[in-house]
Amino acid sequence: MDFDSLVNGITDIGIEWHKERIVQNSANNIPHIEKTVKDLKRLEGDKASSAIVISAGPSLHYNDSLALLANSDFNGSVIAIDGSYVKCLKAGVIPDYVITLDPHPTRIVRWFGDPDFENNMEGDNYFSRQDLDIDFRENSLRQNRENIALINECASKTKLIVASTAPENLVKRAEAAGFDMYWWVPLVDNPNNEGSLTRKMYDLTKLPAINTGGNVGTAAWVFAQFWLKIKNIAVIGMDLGYRQDLPYNMTQGYPELVQMLGEENISSDLFPVIENPDTGNVLYTDPTYYWYRKNTLDLIENSGATLYNCTGGGILFGEGVVSMDLQQFLDDHG
Amino acid sequence: MSDFLKGNYDLEEEIVDKSDESESAQDEFKEKALNSIGGSMVFVEREQYVWDGDDEDTQGNSD
Repeated sequence: MDFDSLVNGITDIGIEWHKERIVQNSANNIPHIEKTVKDLKRLEGDKASSAIVISAGPSLHYNDSLALLANSDFNGSVIAIDGSYVKCLKAGVIPDYVITLDPHPTRIVRWFGDPDFENNMEGDNYFSRQDLDIDFRENSLRQNRENIALINECASKTKLIVASTAPENLVKRAEAAGFDMYWWVPLVDNPNNEGSLTRKMYDLTKLPAINTGGNVGTAAWVFAQFWLKIKNIAVIGMDLGYRQDLPYNMTQGYPELVQMLGEENISSDLFPVIENPDTGNVLYTDPTYYWYRKNTLDLIENSGATLYNCTGGGILFGEGVVSMDLQQFLDDHG
Repeated sequence: MSDFLKGNYDLEEEIVDKSDESESAQDEFKEKALNSIGGSMVFVEREQYVWDGDDEDTQGNSD
């Protein structure tokens, strides 16, 4: 199976693996749904004018974007994803919103401090393979305890934009931490199609559906662009690629590739090297990240929107994407 | 054919129907496969941005 075939097959693979869980999680979460994203107040002033979406790619760890933001006078909206939230807090950035989407039963709760850390991490090397944050890679009990304490202290200052697909342990943890929670359904297919999963989740919850682009980082941008209707939106930490010195077996989708193709069939053909013409950065990507990139670019192109990419690298470039230094965006839109 | 074979011999061990165990193994494999996925929803819809039931105002796009 070649690279293009893999990329084109990701949607079907995902549906097969996730379809029962996202509907079941939506049903399980009904008793917890008090407010929806329709209850969010209409934004005004600087909050409506500009936003920074903080994804959790490796650049967030290797550059000074969060420090720059923390030390700026930026008054726009700050939207983190689950994977970048605690890193924001540690950098002194309190997001207005944090968005979570993924249904995984044991991993996603870790971004919020996992009360059942040892059981959930047993035999799972997911975080060890993340090229994100050394604290998470070390699977440190101490770090987890500190994260729980920090998030308990700060959660009430941030609105949690929580998908109906969220797993039970995450919902329980978020409620215990004290988040102000606003629910939504991920728009995962055409609701008018027979057997639509989106419609099934909607019928269960009556929550509005928001497109995700297939990953939580793009979902955060879609939320800012199409739900909050913020005019100028920058993203940081949206790399969608890996530094060239990172071994293939450290990439996010490596176990799935091995599972599908067999280790003997893993080759560099599956990890194409891409140069970002806007920044000159050279990274390699994998089928999953490339698929995220394609989805995001399609959403941008189809809507005529502009995305200011202040990641300082990565492979997100193309029509509708304006690469810009974060400092420049802060100066222009802060 | 089964009529000819039936009762021609005695088994030393009792035969246990393992179909339930096989289903259990499949469930376990499926669970492991699910657990190997993370970090994405791996779904996408490219034509719509938001949708709120059959409210025409939210059908399809951002306005």
